[in-house]
Amino acid sequence: MKNTLRNVFHSGKFVAGFVIFMFLLVTIIVYPLINPGSPLEQIGVGTFAKPGTYVSLYDAAKTNPDRERETLRLADADDKRLAKALSDSDRVLMVEWLGLKGVDLEGIDYQDTEALLELWHANYDASFKPKGMTSAAQKKYKRLNDALLDLQTADALSVMSDGEQLSLIRKTDYVNVGTVTNVKFLPLGTDNFGRDVLKELVGATKTSLGVGLVAGIVATLLGLAMGLLSGYVGGIVDDFIMFITNLFTVIPGFILLILISYSISQEFRGPATVAAVIGFTSWPWTARSVRSQVISLRNRDHVNLSKLSGHSMLRIVVTDILPYIASYVVMAFILQVSSGILSEAQLSLLGLGPKTTTTPTLGLMMNWAMMYSAHTNGSWWAYFPVILTITLISFSLNLMNTGLDQVFNPTLRD
Amino acid sequence: MKGYRKYFGKKLIWFLITLVCAVILNFILPRLMPSDPVSAITGKLAAGMSDAAAVREIYERYQEEFGTNKPMIVQFGLFVKNLFQGNLGKSFSQYPREVSDIIASSIGWTVCLQLPAILVGWIIGNVLGAMAAYLRKGFDKVLLPVSIFLGNVPAFAMSVVLLVIFAVNLKIAPIAGGYAHDMIPNFSWPFIKSVISHYQLPFWSIVIISIGGQAIGMRSMSIYELNADYVKYSRFLGIKDSKIVGYVFRNAMLPQITGLAMSIGTMMGGALVAEIIFSYPGLGSAMYKAVVAADYPLISACTLIITVMVLVANFLLDIVYGFIDPRVKAAQVD
Amino acid sequence: MANENMEKKSSGKVMLEVRNLKTKYVTRFGESVYAVDGVSFKIEEGKSLGIAGESGCGKSTLALSLMGYYFPPLHYMSGDIIIDGKNISGMDPDTVRKTILGTEIAYIPQAAMNALNPTQKIIRFIEDVVHAHDPKADKKAIREMAEARFAELGLPAKVLDQHAVELSGGMKQRTVIAVSTILNPKVLIADEPSSALDVTSQKMVIRMMRELMEKGHIKAMVFITHELPLLYNVTDDIMVMYAGQIVERGTAKEMVFDPTHPYSHGLMGSILVPEEGTRGHKLTAIPGTPPNLKHPPNGCRFAERCKYAKPECKFYTVPEKAFGEDRMYRCLLSLDELKEVYSHE
Repeated sequence: MKNTLRNVFHSGKFVAGFVIFMFLLVTIIVYPLINPGSPLEQIGVGTFAKPGTYVSLYDAAKTNPDRERETLRLADADDKRLAKALSDSDRVLMVEWLGLKGVDLEGIDYQDTEALLELWHANYDASFKPKGMTSAAQKKYKRLNDALLDLQTADALSVMSDGEQLSLIRKTDYVNVGTVTNVKFLPLGTDNFGRDVLKELVGATKTSLGVGLVAGIVATLLGLAMGLLSGYVGGIVDDFIMFITNLFTVIPGFILLILISYSISQEFRGPATVAAVIGFTSWPWTARSVRSQVISLRNRDHVNLSKLSGHSMLRIVVTDILPYIASYVVMAFILQVSSGILSEAQLSLLGLGPKTTTTPTLGLMMNWAMMYSAHTNGSWWAYFPVILTITLISFSLNLMNTGLDQVFNPTLRD
Repeated sequence: MKGYRKYFGKKLIWFLITLVCAVILNFILPRLMPSDPVSAITGKLAAGMSDAAAVREIYERYQEEFGTNKPMIVQFGLFVKNLFQGNLGKSFSQYPREVSDIIASSIGWTVCLQLPAILVGWIIGNVLGAMAAYLRKGFDKVLLPVSIFLGNVPAFAMSVVLLVIFAVNLKIAPIAGGYAHDMIPNFSWPFIKSVISHYQLPFWSIVIISIGGQAIGMRSMSIYELNADYVKYSRFLGIKDSKIVGYVFRNAMLPQITGLAMSIGTMMGGALVAEIIFSYPGLGSAMYKAVVAADYPLISACTLIITVMVLVANFLLDIVYGFIDPRVKAAQVD
Repeated sequence: MANENMEKKSSGKVMLEVRNLKTKYVTRFGESVYAVDGVSFKIEEGKSLGIAGESGCGKSTLALSLMGYYFPPLHYMSGDIIIDGKNISGMDPDTVRKTILGTEIAYIPQAAMNALNPTQKIIRFIEDVVHAHDPKADKKAIREMAEARFAELGLPAKVLDQHAVELSGGMKQRTVIAVSTILNPKVLIADEPSSALDVTSQKMVIRMMRELMEKGHIKAMVFITHELPLLYNVTDDIMVMYAGQIVERGTAKEMVFDPTHPYSHGLMGSILVPEEGTRGHKLTAIPGTPPNLKHPPNGCRFAERCKYAKPECKFYTVPEKAFGEDRMYRCLLSLDELKEVYSHE
């Protein structure tokens, strides 16, 4: 046993899979301790807030001007503000004006804010009205010019409360993020309902792993029982079970899953039910492989010896057969867990996933993201981490399985 | 020849049995559930309705439509009779359109998308797997983990990734649909061009996800065959290595046909979800719309038709396999 | 009687000569296993040679090494293989493949059951074999040749159009013999060709090979087995192999009735006592296992297991000692000393 374990951990593939899986497992255990609360809590009012650090404007404005604010004179601060304020279309407008004004446009760089502004201030003339320009367009240029002047000359914002000025915020005033009372770090932003995606993802991973685990246990236990019965007893029992098994390997499990899930009314369709249904539709694969293993063991000497010694069938199965097929059963279980997680995700994408108001699953997160077009409006944080997590779970489980297979079936090793 | 006939006979009987079982399951599963479909549908439709009489009326109307007020066996007879007449009922969500009409308009899209995609994925996967087994060393070291990884990317994930990269960011492919939405299907060149450009992303996402699993299977089959005794024997008779590799890959590839038959159900499940992501006008999208709109007759018809497609595909693959692998004929003798 | 039959055919011309052949296996971890370590022998035209030894003694490796065609993990180190006067050991592998394999020397593998590609028709395989040496050969001519040879060996012609999977075990075995010798190789190497068969089929296989030699389709034969009774009936000479080396050589009669080396003595002794069960004992009658050939011992390789070993046996390298009429043994003890110790049993 110890030796087997050592062999297993010498397989690079198994170890790689194990490390990835453990990382996910540790994350779903540790993260809720750091960031407790419901994963479905809606913190944002809008949809799809970008990932990043959110600083409370109110708290920042309310900081004490004398003690909590520092004056920093940064040479490029104004330029940065200007660069941000000048949109690309503004720049194009400005260059067009300069062209009308007869400035040589050769070598003008749109993105060089400083040079562009210098040229602008040197050449802008509010009274100049080129031929063919509407007065609306002329006014637009005036507004643009005013805004630019304002940005460059205005010095401070005043913070008012009930008509009373609390403080002045000058352009050179800075606060340390640490002194602002409310700062929210959202590494993966928010989703369409304004939920913290990372928190939701951790919760969803936990539920999905649970779904996979339950589905895997149900499928493995059923498959093991059927496989043992069919392989060991043989005869008509075998014929019957094999018929059912063959039937359910050709009739796609996914379709059965859809039929059953749809027929269960929504209020009963929690994650546990979905997991059980997935388990009930995926056992034939396990049964098939257990059966072939049992058949090859059935007539081995040690089994015959036990039969002659008059041991009960249960005892023979437990002591003489199970230990020999344990590695296959473990491998089959791993695959069942992985396919269970995938099945849940596919079901949820079809809109037949678990209906829950307390915990998300990876499939539901994917479903929500797709329903709100996260993939077409550029909100990658709402779906990409979900895809990555599902793929990593299934990749790590399969990697472990391949590693185990190479340890237990050495012909494939090289 | 007798061996073949026996094999085909067996496969045909098995096909018919599975077909009958599939029809029965399709009929009985929804009815076995604690809440009968009619009350489930009524519940969905009547949500928000306060008029008890109206709810009752809806319930009775659907009871009549489905015949759920009759004994189970009569219902089944009705179900089968309607099936033979091609009558799958009327769609709820697209009332009064016939369900068979909706199925007929989407089945072509699904078949034309999935059949070539799964086959191309199978072929590429087998070639890569064979190369990994034969070349070993670096190629294998890279290909095996990549195949395991690709084999584990769910179909919908691959679809979303391709969609975002090629349609949303690079804008070299359309985002959704089977053809430009402002076109009317016809046999003109612009329409065909539009169909082809909409075909690319769903096609390749199904191809890519099918490659991984097939490559892994072919790789281990080929390694097994490369170590077979006939390889050594053929070498010692002076036969060229390139010829022997031909033997090996033929022998490794044949069981992969059965492998394809076994996995086609799972593959189709994934491909149907890929259709949803691309809003491809096939059965997957039809089923999705049906689920969202609680269109019971349409869902039931979709599941039935998909099952039948998988069964037919399986049957055809079995027949093809029987023709090209002499081991099948030999197995029938004893 | 069969032996006498064959003796008549001997013309004294050497068909296969092996001089100090050394080959090794290289494992996945780069370690060398010296499986054939300085083997020399000769077979004359019309003669057959049996090689005996327990499993792991290097006899199957010797069979592969004799083909002169090496692919990993087997590697050629040194020595000569001379077939009918032609030294093939220095040849380029592709020339060996084209001009030697199948035409000069042919091989019948251990597991003949699986030696045929299951999904290929036998005739297609025969075509491939012939085309490997003569790409222009006419398919019709190949078929006629194959039919004639099959008829000669008592195989039905319809086998040609069947796949290997459709044939029974015995039939596959005979087909393999027919295919291996289709190009009339001068030397045939048979590596335990009958070990997986029942007694009747075993006899059939041996009869076929003898027929091939009597009809002159093959000129000499090497027969490798661990079943000594089989060897006694089949071959003219017997060589006993241990740990990659030949420990004794002589005619079948001499080897069985007068074994010299303690290892052969142990092996042969067990067959000559029928009441102990000849089949059960065979070569396992000697306690212990052969040495690890990754690091072969310096002295006599059998010393660890030898009842008669003296202390110095473990240190001195033992040379081959010739005696009698073209016999050889490899033991530190002299013939008289050996006679002495055997007489005490």
